[in-house]
Amino acid sequence: MFNFFKSIVSFAFLFIIFYVVLICVWGDYAPLSFKKNLQYKLGSYGHMYSRMQEIKTVKDIDVLFLGSSHTYRGFDTRIFKNDGFKVFNLGSSAQTPIQTELLLKRYLDSLSPKIVVFEVNPFSFSSDGVESSLDLFANDKNDLYSIINAVRINHIKTYNVLIYSFYRELFNMNKKFVEQKVKNEDTYVVNGYVEKKMRYFVDKPIQKLQSNISKKQISAFENILTKLKNEGIEYYLVQAPITKSRYLKITGTKDFDDLMKDKGTYYNFNYILNLTDSLHFYDSHHLNQEGVKIFNNDLIQRILKKINYLF
Amino acid sequence: MLFNSLDFAVFLPIVFVLYWFMAKANLKLQNLLIVLASYVFYGWWDYRFLSLILFSTLIDYFIGLRLNKTSLTINRKLLLWGSIGVNVGLLGFFKYYNFFIDNFTVAFSFFGKAISPNTLNIILPVGISFYTFQTLSYTIDVYKKKLKPTNNFVAFAAFVSFFPQLVAGPIERATNLLPQFYKKRKFEYNKAVDGLRQILWGLFKKIVIADNCATYVNIIFDNYTEYSGSTLFLGGMFFAFQIYGDFSGYSDIAIGTARLFGFNLKQNFAFPYFSRDIAEFWRRWHISLSTWFRDYLYIPLGGSRGSKWNQVRNVFIIFLVSGFWHGANWTFIIWGGLNALYFLPILLLKRNRINTNVVAENSLFPSIIEIFKMLATFILTVIAWIFFRSENIIQAFDYIYRIVDKTLLSIPIVRPSFLLVFIMFFLSVEWVGRKDAFAIEKFFFKKHKIIRMSFYAFLIFLIFMFVKTEGTVFIYFQF
Repeated sequence: MFNFFKSIVSFAFLFIIFYVVLICVWGDYAPLSFKKNLQYKLGSYGHMYSRMQEIKTVKDIDVLFLGSSHTYRGFDTRIFKNDGFKVFNLGSSAQTPIQTELLLKRYLDSLSPKIVVFEVNPFSFSSDGVESSLDLFANDKNDLYSIINAVRINHIKTYNVLIYSFYRELFNMNKKFVEQKVKNEDTYVVNGYVEKKMRYFVDKPIQKLQSNISKKQISAFENILTKLKNEGIEYYLVQAPITKSRYLKITGTKDFDDLMKDKGTYYNFNYILNLTDSLHFYDSHHLNQEGVKIFNNDLIQRILKKINYLF
Repeated sequence: MLFNSLDFAVFLPIVFVLYWFMAKANLKLQNLLIVLASYVFYGWWDYRFLSLILFSTLIDYFIGLRLNKTSLTINRKLLLWGSIGVNVGLLGFFKYYNFFIDNFTVAFSFFGKAISPNTLNIILPVGISFYTFQTLSYTIDVYKKKLKPTNNFVAFAAFVSFFPQLVAGPIERATNLLPQFYKKRKFEYNKAVDGLRQILWGLFKKIVIADNCATYVNIIFDNYTEYSGSTLFLGGMFFAFQIYGDFSGYSDIAIGTARLFGFNLKQNFAFPYFSRDIAEFWRRWHISLSTWFRDYLYIPLGGSRGSKWNQVRNVFIIFLVSGFWHGANWTFIIWGGLNALYFLPILLLKRNRINTNVVAENSLFPSIIEIFKMLATFILTVIAWIFFRSENIIQAFDYIYRIVDKTLLSIPIVRPSFLLVFIMFFLSVEWVGRKDAFAIEKFFFKKHKIIRMSFYAFLIFLIFMFVKTEGTVFIYFQF
């Protein structure tokens, strides 16, 4: 029996070394279709690499935007700048509160924002947070927080990408990578915003959309709010507008609104603005540039009204 | 609890440690631990159905004892039919009630009588077909005096509910498994390591081959009207590997797990896709079920003795019942019938036992004729699997009709390169290990230990790299 356990422990030890080495080799040489659970995307959706490079050069801002693609595609930093705000958009694809918490641990002190606009929606609270973590590990520096984040998510894809990202960082392999400013229909705008080429949404039938709020996400969300309160940072919870046809298909929206209202100043722009699906969106849940302008101007007025004493 | 779940990864070491350390000195305690662990394993899915297992266990335990006490033929027959009635009755109710009601409704409507029967919202208890057959084998063997009934209730309960093979087999015979619960089990290093090796190969088959094939099978079968003949044929092939990887993978994990606890279960799959005819295929596919039907149905019916008509009848009965055992759907019955049609000419020409050895037994590669025979057998099974996988008979016929098309010779639209590579790798390993109990039993045994360990590590790596993270179940759980 002793020999059996000894063999298992020895094999496990060798396996860990073998696994780490093979992840690095596999990541470098295997064709894409062979990397099912190693989805390392440098400069992935939404110009994450450019955003993470730029954030390291930004300090002392007025407004910080946090959240999912609704954030980096919904808060145009140029519009806010025109109104005198120094802003940074720290949105990322499918960002959930777990990743937001990680990002704040890394950058809140250097950015020291006066206001945080936290984009919330039922689905970012229902997500397992895997997609966003992969994005973050591949495009930002990795540290102890990354490991904690991977353990919290506890998913094979996050572990694999984290190992591979550490390896690439160790050998400085991303040094030569330059992310194109214009990729397909997306253009990276300074301070984190991504502008989509002007398009209009064509309605398609949508099935019922259900969200199941995760306890892990709620816990991370509460940690973020506590941190902001402790730092004396004003925050607004904002649900960005999506098409009416989609919003009406989501179940449990009222419960989500009630939950958010309990946590702070909350604006659900699906009720505030009267946008037209076919004019102000490019897909079922992202505004086009016309929609962004209306949304941002309304939000600016609300922020100004609420906190005009700050400026 | 699923073998490919985190729950099982925690459950197994706990039971293993308790079994070999806490209960080591006491056979009764070991058996009791197996019963408890098995009930936890099964109850993890739905604790309410534990009562069904307990009920079956109690019925067959007491019927076994009564059979031993009476010598009157009529009483013995009554007891036997009592056991069959209760067990098959439960199976029939949970598995086939709605099927019969629906078909009666259709039949009455056909004759112009519209009826509106009450169908029930019945949940099919996982593995009921497996443990029902296992416990029935005990009663029948006791009735036939092939086995002495046990008066050790804990051992009998452990035999019925033994968690490695409770929900998807192999269907063990009481003559093989029950006596193992009477003997003191000693930990054997080689047996345990062998068990781990078999578990690893089972997980590879399930996670890397079956689950990844399933993705493309679902895409192709769900949208089959949109694809070319070649893609549809590839879909059928993927399903053949899906079901083989899924079910034989489960059996490997079950047998390997049993070995960790000192038990020997029977081989359930013997490289069926290397068969040279359908008769050989059925000697190599789901062996525990095929032999169950052979011993308790086919032979009592007369088997291959008697007139040609009797032989034909018996073949059809066994294959149709086997099809129906798989599920309450006409697609399974047609699948069984089709296999009977494949088998019949071989039987009637008395060529059903010409391929009883391992293919290319004394050479590394098969001959051209053997390759042709294996390919032909494989294609026949793929056609039969299309019925097995389809939602209904119309879809199955339409699917096959669309395969036989000029687009059959075109390049398939869906062709996942990684999966094709892994299927080739999988078949190569199985080919090399085709003479053993499972493919990697002696794989790289003549090489240095480091090479062997690296091979196992590589298999685990592939499992982690290709595991489907959204969770999957085993196909045979539904049967």
